[in-house]
Amino acid sequence: MAKEGLGLEITELRLGLPGDNYSEISIWGSKKKKRVLSDMMISSSLNTEDENGVVSSLVDESLPVVKSQAVGWPPVCSYRRKKNNEEASKAIGYVKVSMDGVPYLRKIDLGSSNSYNNLATVLENLFGCLGLGVAKEGKKCEYIIIYEDKDRDWMLVGDVPWQMFKESCKRLRIVKRSDATGFGLQRD
Amino acid sequence: MNYFPDEVIEHVFDFVVSHKDRNSISLVCKSWHKIERFSRKEVFIGNCYAINPERLIGRFPCLKSLTLKGKPHFADFNLVPHEWGGFVLPWIEALARSRVGLEELRLKRMVVTDESLELLSRSFANFKSLVLVSCEGFTTDGLASIATNCRHLRELDLQENEIDDHRGQWLNCFPDSCTTLISLNFACLKGETNVAALERLVARSPNLKSLKLNRAVPLDALARLMSCAPQLVDLGVGSYENEPDPESFAKLMTAIEKCISLRSLSGFLEVAPLCLPAFYPICQNLISLNLSYAAEIQGNHLIKLIQLCKRLQRLWILDSIGDKGLVVVADTCKELQELRVFPSDVHGEEDNIAAVTEVGLVAISAGCPKLHSILYFCKQMTNAALIAVAKNCPNFIRFRLCILEPHKPDHITSQSLDEGFGAIVQACKGLRRLSVSGLLTDQVFLYIGMYAEQLEMLSIAFAGDTDKGMLYVLNGCKKMRKLEIRDSPFGNAALLADVGRYETMRSLWMSSCEVTLGGCKRLAQNSPRLNVEIINENENNRMEQNEEDEGEKVDKLYLYRTVVGTRKDAPPYVRIL
Repeated sequence: MAKEGLGLEITELRLGLPGDNYSEISIWGSKKKKRVLSDMMISSSLNTEDENGVVSSLVDESLPVVKSQAVGWPPVCSYRRKKNNEEASKAIGYVKVSMDGVPYLRKIDLGSSNSYNNLATVLENLFGCLGLGVAKEGKKCEYIIIYEDKDRDWMLVGDVPWQMFKESCKRLRIVKRSDATGFGLQRD
Repeated sequence: MNYFPDEVIEHVFDFVVSHKDRNSISLVCKSWHKIERFSRKEVFIGNCYAINPERLIGRFPCLKSLTLKGKPHFADFNLVPHEWGGFVLPWIEALARSRVGLEELRLKRMVVTDESLELLSRSFANFKSLVLVSCEGFTTDGLASIATNCRHLRELDLQENEIDDHRGQWLNCFPDSCTTLISLNFACLKGETNVAALERLVARSPNLKSLKLNRAVPLDALARLMSCAPQLVDLGVGSYENEPDPESFAKLMTAIEKCISLRSLSGFLEVAPLCLPAFYPICQNLISLNLSYAAEIQGNHLIKLIQLCKRLQRLWILDSIGDKGLVVVADTCKELQELRVFPSDVHGEEDNIAAVTEVGLVAISAGCPKLHSILYFCKQMTNAALIAVAKNCPNFIRFRLCILEPHKPDHITSQSLDEGFGAIVQACKGLRRLSVSGLLTDQVFLYIGMYAEQLEMLSIAFAGDTDKGMLYVLNGCKKMRKLEIRDSPFGNAALLADVGRYETMRSLWMSSCEVTLGGCKRLAQNSPRLNVEIINENENNRMEQNEEDEGEKVDKLYLYRTVVGTRKDAPPYVRIL
């Protein structure tokens, strides 16, 4: 019954055996209206570990999404599922941040940030990288910030209202603007 | 009986309460049918598309209470697309046009709009009770209409609905003259609550027995609310977040101690576990405890609380309680009848060492002799455990086991779980509802067909090998009413073997199975009293009529009996054959 994924899993450090995630059965035809990172190939010459994995999901909604569970499984009603997500994100507060070319992960307390600007400042200080604006147009920073949301899609930071972002952001990545296509970003 | 005047017979019928029984007596003879019709006050409609409002009103003109269910059960798990159906407005419109004196409306999995709530609130002068479970489509504006216009409102019970919270003043809309509230549940509202308005409302509702708050009601407000409603029987605690200062905590404790009638506790939507001890004094009185939304209370705090709840009959909890915690439950809660253990980690991300296993389940079955209903999410199971459970607890009415990973075998023997579930159905002669999971072959369905004589509802996922599996069930379980199947290899042969069977059932759901369009068409052909719906959201699969591939597999099939033919409100992606 398992349908094939794209074979491009997020290769991350985690506990547990590979394939531990409730069978990687894909979601078909799910209506996703968000701007999802598409065909993003991120390479970094300084990248040694597989910490910064490659993620790609297709814009074409009829094709499988990477590494997802079967729709509606386990059979927890959607109301409860949402509450579960809210609890999980509230409880954590801290999200991991990785940056291309930097071999270590950092953690920041998203709960204590109150705006996108604030977040940008925090990240700038953390990684010693200036001009890390989250806006898409205008700023010509070399890097952009993307985040993984509850549905495991990679999204551009800054698109949704701050509160919504805070609740759905599971982790952050700072990537080179030139490496990230598909977000409607203007090329330098 | 026919020598008695109608009023006498009617009086006798008043004592017949259950829907099944009333349906039966209406079949005895014309005279009884007529008397029953006009004396029926409560009607239950399990599928809103099985009948239409006009016929309902025509038959039961004196109806006072209506219960309606809309979407199929699997809609809870996002398997039914939005806009599928289940709209309540036509019902309310029809009832409003007629002269039905509606007093109570209970809806489950239906689409409710502010417009329908407004119409409801204006149309029935004696309206008393609104219960909405797993509904969607409305906002707090609709609630404001109800509050404003329903002068005799006794019950407003909102359970697990998707409500757009406009952060308005709906609580303020209850007029000062409204003092009749018995039950108020708004736990599912996400936004800010006008706490002052709430306190005033509670203060002027001396009959209030059930109050369930949402997360926006903080601790100090809780203390005040409980102080002015010591008669509460059922309490849903909202936000419980901050650790209070000693003075607030003392006030809370005093308030709680006075609530000697409290029997049911739920909520704790945001929790500071250090506040739980405030509830210790009333734990001995509790018969129902729902901590399944309290994700932040850790196992040991839960255990301390539960140890005091010796009279508990119903417990809903998260698997963070662990097997250890379930052993405590088994030792403490000897009156336990219903247990639900939900997964705290739905996405399976963390290595949840504390989660429950077969050990907890066996302990519960051994320790709780009155247990008859269980819903259990776990990561692993064994046949030996299920056999032990069956032996310990032959009284199960509802047995729902969900092993989180599909196709997972007995983790010790690596065999399928056929024997385990077989033992359950063989021992539990009164079993009415069953959900199976884990690695299962056709054999388990042979057992179910053979032994589960009282089974009315069966949920199957990722199970079985061939059509025989489904056939065993359809042939064996004569009382089956609802059958729902997903991701299992059952196809046309099983579907078409006994088409007449489906008219004895409420509904059949099959998704990601092997049935084809051709099979569904054949099924629909000679079944005017069945609606056969094909739900296909995927744009690419929609073809022109003449290009249709009969061999194409059907994504989702939902069929149900009906006396009113094809419904007119289906969205474009639903095809009714």
